[in-house]
Amino acid sequence: MAIAREAEPVGSLHEVREAGLDREDLLGIYRHMLITRGIEERGHILYRQGKIPGSFYTGRGNEAASVGIATAMRPDDVGTPLHRDMGVHIVRGVEPWRIFAQYMGRADGPTRGRDGNVHMADAHLGLVAMVSHLPAMLPVAVGCALAFRIREEARVAVGWFGEGASARGDTHESMTLAGTRKLPVVFVCDNNQWAYSTPTYLEFATEHVADRAQAYGFEGVVVDGTDVLAVHREAKRAIEKARAGGGPTLLECLTLRMEGHAVHDDAFYVPKVMFERWAESDPVERYRTWLREHVELSDKEEDEIASETKKLLNDSLRRAEESPLPEPGDLTEGVYAAPEDLDTPHHK
Amino acid sequence: MATETAIEVVMPQMGVSVSEGTITRWLKQEGEHVEADEPLLEISTDKVDTEVPSPGSGTLTQILVQEGETVAVGTKLGRLGGTVADGSAAEPEQAPDEPEAAAAARTSGEAPAGSAAPTTERLEEAQPEPAREASSAGNGKAFVSPVVARIASEHGVDPGRVEGTGKGGRVTKKDILAFVEAGAPAKASAPPAHEAPQPVAQPQAQPAPTQPQPPAKAPPQAAQALEQTGETLPGETVEPMTAMRRGIAEHMRRSLDTSAHVTSAIEVDLSRVVAVRARLKQEYQAAYGVNPTYLAFIAKAAVETLREYPYVNAEIRGDSIVTRSFVNLGFAVELADGKGLIVPVVRNAETMNLLGLAKAIADIAARSRSKQLVPDDVQGGTFTITNPGGYGTFHGTPVISQPQSAILGTYALVKRPWVIEDELGNDVIAIRPIMNITLTYDHRLVDGAYAGRFLKSLRERLEGWEGDEG
Amino acid sequence: MSEMTYLQAISDGLRTEMRRDKRVFLIGEDVGVYGGAFKVSLGFQEEFGPWRVIDAPLAETAIVGGCTGAALMGMRPVAEMQFADFVSCAWDQLVTVAAKQRWRASTPVPIVIRLPSGGGFSGGPFHSQNPESSFAHIPGLKCVCPATPEDAKGLLISAIEDPNPVLYFEHKHLYRRIKAEVPEERYTTPIGKARRHREGDDLSVITWGAMVHTAGEAAAQLESDGVSTEIIDLRTVMPWDRDAVLESVRKTSKVLILHEDTRTGGFGAEIAATIAEEAFEDLDAPVKRIAAPDTPVPFSPPLEKAFIPQVEDVVAGLRELAEY
Repeated sequence: MAIAREAEPVGSLHEVREAGLDREDLLGIYRHMLITRGIEERGHILYRQGKIPGSFYTGRGNEAASVGIATAMRPDDVGTPLHRDMGVHIVRGVEPWRIFAQYMGRADGPTRGRDGNVHMADAHLGLVAMVSHLPAMLPVAVGCALAFRIREEARVAVGWFGEGASARGDTHESMTLAGTRKLPVVFVCDNNQWAYSTPTYLEFATEHVADRAQAYGFEGVVVDGTDVLAVHREAKRAIEKARAGGGPTLLECLTLRMEGHAVHDDAFYVPKVMFERWAESDPVERYRTWLREHVELSDKEEDEIASETKKLLNDSLRRAEESPLPEPGDLTEGVYAAPEDLDTPHHK
Repeated sequence: MATETAIEVVMPQMGVSVSEGTITRWLKQEGEHVEADEPLLEISTDKVDTEVPSPGSGTLTQILVQEGETVAVGTKLGRLGGTVADGSAAEPEQAPDEPEAAAAARTSGEAPAGSAAPTTERLEEAQPEPAREASSAGNGKAFVSPVVARIASEHGVDPGRVEGTGKGGRVTKKDILAFVEAGAPAKASAPPAHEAPQPVAQPQAQPAPTQPQPPAKAPPQAAQALEQTGETLPGETVEPMTAMRRGIAEHMRRSLDTSAHVTSAIEVDLSRVVAVRARLKQEYQAAYGVNPTYLAFIAKAAVETLREYPYVNAEIRGDSIVTRSFVNLGFAVELADGKGLIVPVVRNAETMNLLGLAKAIADIAARSRSKQLVPDDVQGGTFTITNPGGYGTFHGTPVISQPQSAILGTYALVKRPWVIEDELGNDVIAIRPIMNITLTYDHRLVDGAYAGRFLKSLRERLEGWEGDEG
Repeated sequence: MSEMTYLQAISDGLRTEMRRDKRVFLIGEDVGVYGGAFKVSLGFQEEFGPWRVIDAPLAETAIVGGCTGAALMGMRPVAEMQFADFVSCAWDQLVTVAAKQRWRASTPVPIVIRLPSGGGFSGGPFHSQNPESSFAHIPGLKCVCPATPEDAKGLLISAIEDPNPVLYFEHKHLYRRIKAEVPEERYTTPIGKARRHREGDDLSVITWGAMVHTAGEAAAQLESDGVSTEIIDLRTVMPWDRDAVLESVRKTSKVLILHEDTRTGGFGAEIAATIAEEAFEDLDAPVKRIAAPDTPVPFSPPLEKAFIPQVEDVVAGLRELAEY
């Protein structure tokens, strides 16, 4: 029995305009989704070429959810995106070359080779670097919201987690603290239906993850995670509600993880029919179709956007490859912070 | 009814960080009966005000702490049962109160009354390996700890020669430092190329080596002293002290600071010795290639006399006096060009006859001058003879070579008009070869009379020299 | 100067910082209305309001993670774990997120976690632990353990100032038992620097926390035997003052390491290994350790006494060392 509100799909362009998106914005969203997908596709190839060490994760199928939510954030809001949320980094303004450099463990990457895959964040762009222990970033997101509340700032924190991670105590504690104190945080659940090989019914016993929100004293919403505009609309509602002092929302974006848990995983355990069904709802394709229909996206424009994206990614990759590998001698530097290190944009 | 065994009433701990409480009201008077668990008194603490239930049934025989008083947790407040105010210590309440008592004791600065058993248990657990016995090759001194090995190496000292006060007789850091402090003979640098053998100064003082490990004293002080004198005046020349000189300076000072130096002198008529020497000289030269010097004669007589007066051959160690059955006889040797002095040692001189001594003395003198001494040659002396008389001086007050207790000084052999008794018992003047001999002794150990007797005995031997061996 | 208990000094330090810097706030269970389980923040909520003295739900992960997030946003949070023992509930946040953030993502996490630690009053296994060694082992965390009221105040202020996650171990058994003169003004005690608690020539004791006082009593007893004991109060366990320790070891050549935490893998092991590596040629005896046995902290007083190193244990250990 579902308790969470199930979001309506996006209707008309009028509705979208009301959400404050003009044509430029709409095309911008499209670009962001293309770049997001492009980076991950290229990364996939690089990984299989041996140019990316360690493991490689993608968020194929989650482009709408990540881009949609990030688009609804204001510049001075902050977020803790996870490994399926590459779109968040792109929308916030992280340059693709740095993402490639991060993947390849280069010295000019955001973590200077100290952490891998998407364990990165640009603090200047209001992002906090994730860890592997999911959802350990949720309490951190709540902490950001706590700071905003204490200082009475009109800022919002967005914390991401997966439906698998929802099983862990961090989720419960974060929502308890956020709910009891009505903190300005939005909890985003990327429900891509598979936590490695574990299906949803082994991770939670309710119909939706979002059904739990009521237990914590706030609203839960389930939205089609492949519908970028619907995601955007719900995200905007939730974020602005939090900003206005209305407390948290749990926004569950439903999609399917279209690839394995990581590149090394072929996802044999996912029924083929699921892949087929959700391939029809590919977020990038869906949105492209909508754009062509509702804002008259022309072939020319489409091609331009595509080739710009391609060029951007090629240039980015080249630049990333020029970045050197890190020096081992620097390994022990920075274990402790010095007082000067506190001068980051976060710490204002 | 008094219970057979008295029960203590103690201040309870109302919360983990509470350390004291105040009695606000006794609910029973002395002599009144109280049942177990019945409220007995009221207390107030940082955390809470509460009633204290009686720990047992019986008569409140004694109230030890009055209303309004604040005491540490665990303090005895009163007693149930036993004899009224009998003052005898009852069985302490079992375990629960002990940590408080201990805590209370700690607070008040007393040593807590601990139970031995748990302590021992834990100690055993904490130190599962038995304390390591000094590994011994029999004498328990074989184990040398790292720091002792290092100090020994730096100072050229053989730890085997140091008396150990540690477990199993091992040499401790303190032991070897004391040994070095007291003037352990320095390592004479073996390679002759080395400028000066470790300094041993003229009259004495065994130095700590300055080369490998500058003693905390001399060099910095020397350097400092130099700097402190400021600018030089016209006519002044400044030269830095050599390591040997610094060593000598340091050890002279130290010896004087250590021993209570007193000198007694005696004049000895060496006419018999002169005669014997004249007779033996050619024979010894021809047969053994050695010159029986006056020093050899005196050394022989001295060694024999030392047997009778062991304190002159002894050493003070801490609160103990160490005497020996052997004599390691040191001889002051002047190095060429006034570079300094060294005191090589003839070991076990008591086993040598005149010839042996003469040879030994000649040998070490030669090797000293040609810088062929080895560390063993300058270590372990028990008594020293110095001979400043070579330049005609007739008296002196040498400095004792630490850690010895005395030093014998021999001076110029001078022909003097001397009053003797002729065959008829009359006083006549004769020309006699007279030598002044001094004994400088450490009055901490050797008293004047003892020293006097030593010198008298020495003189008797020399003046009564008979035959080849005296 | 003013006479304060160890607990009052902690309160004073916290209050000083909260008055001085609006970014400093306290969060923990029962710290607001109740004033804290040990009353460290008594009166604080009245003065600073409910958004600077925050009563948290029973959720250590949320508390510590919340502090991390707030610190990333520019605040200077101070979390109180009700007992140090409960910090294990927040282990992940400390070790995974807070400790590593500066090194890998260049974003410092200036948080302080206050940890009422230590035993001696029948607190039992879950209210008496000294968990400093596990955190000292994690690169990126700092661990401080004041033993005196003066250091308690100064180290707390330094911890709040420090841009790193600092675990502040306040020994509960010292709260009201130790009083001393403490400066009334604001001052800092340097993190990473030891203090010579007692000067001596024959033996060195390296210790911290409540054991500093145990060592002091033991040393006084040995004095009357003519043995002079030096006590080095580390004050900070990570990063620890190697130079001060090695200097003392070189002076006396006989060293005892004493801590209330359990023996195996206790921080004393790291100190002992370092001494063996760096001062081998200065040792006149094996490096000794006295610590609690490898068990959970027992409840019943005779058991607890056998667990926590007592003055007489230290006296025996020192005597043995002196006689070696």
